[in-house]
Formats: sequence, structure tokens, C-alpha cells
Amino acid sequence: MTRLLRDLWAFFERDLRIASTYRSPFVLEVIEALFGAATFYYVARFVDSPALREALPRGKTYFAYSLVGLVFFDYLHAAMNTFDQSLQEARDAGTLEPLLVTQVSLPVILIGSAFYPFVATTLRVAVYLGWAAAFFDFPLRGANWFGALAVLLATLLAFCGLGVLSAAYLLLFKRGNPAKWFILGVSSIVGGMLFPVEVLPRWLQVIGWLNPVTYALDAMRAVLLDGASLAAVSRPLLILLAFTGVLLPFSVFVFSWVLRRTKVTGTLTHS
Amino acid sequence: MSDAAIILDSLEKWFPPALRGWRAFLQPFAAPTSAALRGISLQVKQGEAVALLGVNGAGKTTLLRILATLLLPTSGSASLAGHDTVRESAVVRRQIGYHAGSDLGFYARLTGRQNLHFFGRLNHLSKGFCADRIDELGDRLGLQNNLDRQVRTLSSGIIQRLSLLRALLHHPKILLLDEPTRSLDALAAADFRRFLKAEVLARQGTSLLFASHTLQEIEFLADRVAVLDEGKLLAFDSPAALRGATPSASLELAFAKLTGRRAYSEEPSHL
Repeated sequence: MTRLLRDLWAFFERDLRIASTYRSPFVLEVIEALFGAATFYYVARFVDSPALREALPRGKTYFAYSLVGLVFFDYLHAAMNTFDQSLQEARDAGTLEPLLVTQVSLPVILIGSAFYPFVATTLRVAVYLGWAAAFFDFPLRGANWFGALAVLLATLLAFCGLGVLSAAYLLLFKRGNPAKWFILGVSSIVGGMLFPVEVLPRWLQVIGWLNPVTYALDAMRAVLLDGASLAAVSRPLLILLAFTGVLLPFSVFVFSWVLRRTKVTGTLTHS
Repeated sequence: MSDAAIILDSLEKWFPPALRGWRAFLQPFAAPTSAALRGISLQVKQGEAVALLGVNGAGKTTLLRILATLLLPTSGSASLAGHDTVRESAVVRRQIGYHAGSDLGFYARLTGRQNLHFFGRLNHLSKGFCADRIDELGDRLGLQNNLDRQVRTLSSGIIQRLSLLRALLHHPKILLLDEPTRSLDALAAADFRRFLKAEVLARQGTSLLFASHTLQEIEFLADRVAVLDEGKLLAFDSPAALRGATPSASLELAFAKLTGRRAYSEEPSHL
């Protein structure tokens, strides 16, 4: 276990060192988050109306609702992109082969490479929420932070299965998974990112309820904006864990098969 | 208990054909039809240096990649230090140092030292041991002035030396080197060969299997030479024995006679 953590830390340190060689983008990203939060605040003020407030869960402003949806949707992006991107980068840079002859396995290489992007996403989310709370009355004081952490972990686990499947697709076919963009596109509409699922036509709502994003955003809004307890969000949490229980083992199985197959075809390190 | 460092038993490797267009999607499932290795059987003794000699496409790199656990054999078996490359790939990786012969394989924005530390940690070396070893080998390979520069600023010869250093970093029992001196200048190549022979082979008793097109390098380093052609092992003996058996004045002529190809030294001088 300690060795695994040390291996994962080595990847995090590698990515942190690489990121630190690009200093200005980090500062620019912090400033960009301020502009992003400001844009949402003024759009929310502009569209605010009694009808809109009625459509939203009780007591929530559209600004708070949409900002949480937008920034936490980033985790889905990160989970879907991180695994296959790290694989693609390692192939292009020729580092995949030297990595594969070290004493860590490819799953550890993938998880290790996902470590930094997830931490970076968390920092980006924190910066967004920080600007929003500091300047635009985003209600953070009553948030249940422990609950937010639990929801975040459940969300990451549920999304990681999709990301690993995407990496398996890339490994097998040498090109990006087209289904990934479909999932991201559909999720942004039916997952409740900018509006409640209830405003959608019935058939789209059904797709929304089959999507882990819907439950992740529901639970995250509840713990962050209402300070809901873990018990209060147990239903979406359990559903996220059920998604994890199905997606993660399935994706690991598919990935293992693909890995073996590419060692047979000789295309493991081909771009 | 065999004293062999490497045992190949009827090793075969077949690849599926390269498909284009939409058929590329079928490639991972296509039947293997192209032979890269055909029934190779040989043993490399502990502390022995064996060269793989063959024209381009003879199967040298495929053989090294199977031993480095990057490819699965189609049939037959390969074992290193008594461990099967398929069933015990993790144990095998602990025994080997592998150099792929490419100038790639490093993180361009990290320094040479940071790269080596990263790969050292993935081989579970302690920080202190790794630092000492990088200094020791860096000094020996003439890298001291380049270790703290970003890899993107280094020449291909220096990067190749870094790659050789990486292969030696964890004191492997068996070295697998694919064209170890390809990008090195003449002096650096000669120096590296001397270091390999005096330090790594003679003093540390490391076993070496290397592919090379440089006959002078093979004559200097190899105890025995495996001559490969179209995936078949044509001969496996010492350079002197190969010259005597053919009979030929040079290894080049012996190689040409064994493979049925014309040696450059046989060609008319005006060409």
C-alpha cells in the first residue's frame, strides 16, 4: 500500500514539476476563473425571474445553481479525458515504453497520471468558488465540506470507469473515443448542469436519470448550497456507488483484455 | 537449476497485417499472418554478452521487446533469470535494464536528473541511492554538465546516453540494449563500449543481449553472436567460430555468407 502511494506520488510530482515549468498559464487560469465567475453572476442576474426561481430547487439562486453545475462538470471532463490523454502523451513522447518496463503496472501508470489532473481540477473549482464567494455572494458559509468531499470521491470513482473505457478504446484503435464526446455532450444537456432535469421533456429526463452526472450534481448542490448531511444525500451517493460498482470492474476488465491484445498485435506503444 | 540468464525455447512471434482505412478498426482482431520470429531457441549464460546480428526486419527488436515484456510471444517461451516473460512479467522487469534505441522516452520539460529520479522511483530505488547512482553513472558517461538541463535542450547523442544511464540505474542483472551506440559520436561510443565491457560485464557480471549493426562493436563486446534472418536463427557462436565456420576473413563476410547476402567489402571498389 505504501509502495503504491509512493508510486502514485512519483507521478504527481512529475506532473507538478512539468506544470511548474509553465508558470504564467497558472496565474492566467486564476484570473480567468474570476472572469468566468463574473460572467455567470451577471448572466444569472439578467435572466433571474420569478418563473426561473420557481423552476429551481427551493431557496437557490440561478447563479449558485449554475456555477456549481458548471465547475463540477469539470470533473466529468477530467475523468473522461485524463486517462486517454496521458496514454496518448506518453505514446507521442515515447515515454510509454520506458514506463512499461519499470516495476509499476499500466493501471498504476494510468491512475498515477490521473492524480495531478484531478488535483488541478479541484484547485480550479476551489478558485472559482472562492472568487464567487468573495465577490458575488455565493453562499459557501453553510456548506457541508465533509459531505462535499464524500460526494466528490463517489463522483470521481463513478466517472473513472468511463475514463478507463476511453483509454482502452484509444489503446486498441489508436484514436480518440468518439463516444466520449457524445457522453460529454449528452451529459451537459440531461445531467442538470445549467438547468434542473425536471424542465426537460419526459424522455430526456429518463436519459438524465440514467446518467451519473445527474446524481453527482444533485448531491454536490445539496451539500454545498444547503449544507445537507450525508444521510440527506445518501440516495444519490448510493446510486453513484452503484455506477462505480458496475463501471469500474467492467472498465478494468476491458482494459486488461485490450492491454493483452495490444501486446499480441504489437501495437501497445504505436501512435 | 540452469545457469542461463536468458532461455528462449522455440520462440515464435507473428503479427497481424497492417490494415488501412475503415479496416484499421478490424486490425486488433485480425489473425496474425506475418512472421517476425520463427522457432528461436538459444540460451545466454550468466555474465555472457550476446549480440543479435541481422539486417533490418530480421526480428532483433521484436526479440528484445518480448524479453522486455512489451510483447507476448505467439508460441514458445522466453525466460529471464528463471522467470517466464508472460506469466511472471513483473518479476522479469525487476531483473532487466532496457534501452529501446530511440532518442525519445524522456519528459522534455524536465531535466535529465529529474527524469532519471522519476524512473528510478518507479523502479523502487531510494532517493539517496538514486542520487548517488545518477552522479556516479553520469560522471562515467560524460553527462555531468548536461544532467541539470531540460531534456528538450539536449542533443540526440546526450539523450541516448541518458537512456543508457536509465537502463543501468537499478543495477539490473540482465541488460537488453537495442542499438546502444546508434546516436553516439565515435569517441563516446568507444568509451561506452569500454565501460560496458570493463565495469558492467566483467566486474558486475551482468548478462547482456544487444542488437547492433556495428560489427566492430559486436567483435569487441560479444562472446557469442546470434545471426537472425527473416525471423530465423541462422547461427549462434563466437565471432571467431562464425568466421572459421564460413570460412571468412571478417565478421561482415561471415554474416553475408550466412544470410546469402552480398557484403559491402566484396563490392567493386569503384562503387
